[in-house]
Amino acid sequence: MFDNFDLMVDAMGQGLWVTIWVTAVSFIVALIIGALLAMMHVSPAPPARWVATAYTGLFKNVPLLAILFILYFGFPKIGIVLPSWQWAIIGLGTYTAAFVGETLRSGINSIDLGQAEAARSIGLTFGQSLRHIILPQAFRTVIPPLGSLLTALVKNSSLVLVIGVPELSAQAQRLINDNQDRFDLWAVILGVAACYLIVNLPISYFIRRAERRAQFAR
Amino acid sequence: MSRSPKSTVLFDALGPRGRRRARNASIVTGIVFVGLFTLAGIQLADQGFFDQSRWVNPMDILIIENAWLPALMSTLKAALLGSIGALLLGVIVGMGRVSRFAAIRGVAAVYVQFFRAMPLLLLIWIPFTIDGAFGATLSMGIDAEGRRLTFLVLGLSVYNGAVLAEILRSGINALPPGQAMAGHAIGLRHGQTMRLVVLPQAVRNMLPAVLAQLVILLKDTALGYVITYPDLLHDAETIGRNYADSFLQVLIIAAFVYFVLAWGLSKIVTVVERKTSRKVAKGAATVEPSIPMEAGAPGAKP
Repeated sequence: MFDNFDLMVDAMGQGLWVTIWVTAVSFIVALIIGALLAMMHVSPAPPARWVATAYTGLFKNVPLLAILFILYFGFPKIGIVLPSWQWAIIGLGTYTAAFVGETLRSGINSIDLGQAEAARSIGLTFGQSLRHIILPQAFRTVIPPLGSLLTALVKNSSLVLVIGVPELSAQAQRLINDNQDRFDLWAVILGVAACYLIVNLPISYFIRRAERRAQFAR
Repeated sequence: MSRSPKSTVLFDALGPRGRRRARNASIVTGIVFVGLFTLAGIQLADQGFFDQSRWVNPMDILIIENAWLPALMSTLKAALLGSIGALLLGVIVGMGRVSRFAAIRGVAAVYVQFFRAMPLLLLIWIPFTIDGAFGATLSMGIDAEGRRLTFLVLGLSVYNGAVLAEILRSGINALPPGQAMAGHAIGLRHGQTMRLVVLPQAVRNMLPAVLAQLVILLKDTALGYVITYPDLLHDAETIGRNYADSFLQVLIIAAFVYFVLAWGLSKIVTVVERKTSRKVAKGAATVEPSIPMEAGAPGAKP
């Protein structure tokens, strides 16, 4: 079953590494854009709200794969050429940002109105009440959903194989397609499944823990 | 997304000075965004993005009839079959999750944990590849076309079945335990309590979350691309290759169709959500629609 085991491990290891860093960088991009979107959503300037709403609606209702296609196959047609890994990060980041924005916004909105009122009534300024009262509580409620977004992003990162980024799934596909006689189908499949479990199960474990702790803390 | 003034906790109702500041901020941000869009528009126009032929050619009536419509149909077909499969599996596994028998709960938990951790892409592509290696479906007399549909639907069902099972479980857990106790107290057996008391409320409670997940399933049919299932995205790419100048335009049209489908369905979900709210036992936490990405743990409300 395990002929050429070390070659397989090598390829999968590289793929796992690409999956991890693409996910990590995309998640940071998504957090930045998402925070911006959440701020635009709660801001008193209507144009900012409209743009944020349009962005969210657009990216939530178009399949990620279609977005990646538009970026990687479509944009070169209007003269914007980037290497595929950059498109992968832009695509995953902008897509996930819509969900991050919604999560952060609902986190802020989940705080009871009385908290803000209490903060103001003891004389805290807007900035102070945000910093000391609202955001710490909002942050706690959004940790679990942000964690689920991270696991979803790990899984979504497999889609970038269609634009030629050599991440985990792409490596598995290559191993199976190119080397049908040299690599055992089952070994590759078990390997790739194990890799995703190794990345995702700890995250969902920590989400559950964070969720329980958040429950006690309020 | 209507915003009542109370929907944000950050601001008091603005006073005269605050209103003036907000107005100025609006004007500035408005100008900034309009400026950005104009710049992008000029840039695109320079590249001939808005040329009429680029939009009209791939929307030729023959192309619509022979490519777009069949593609739309196969996308809808896969979504419908996938939804049915996912609902069936979701109910079975979800009932397993809340079973009285630890062994069944364990099996269901492993199913959910495993399939929710796997990328859907792999769940579509790997069984397809295994089948290709062994020729199981071919020997069953399923042609290449049906084979692609089979494995796309299978992947969608298995994956979304796991997600729906989680939604079902949290819907049942969100009911106050007093409901089941009351059922037992008036002498109903476990099955009767489930059927008559718990499930009707739980189902109503989680309906929005389930529907939201099915919208995601519709979007996910695009992943059929990896096994060359001739869905919207796949055919869009084919059309784009034939009209190389219109490639971007074709992809945008396809994305727009997905957008209309998913957006329209999610509007329906919102309506259902409004209609079903407040008909559940007091104290029942609502099941939040799972973070509507491709996956998302249905957030048990803290």
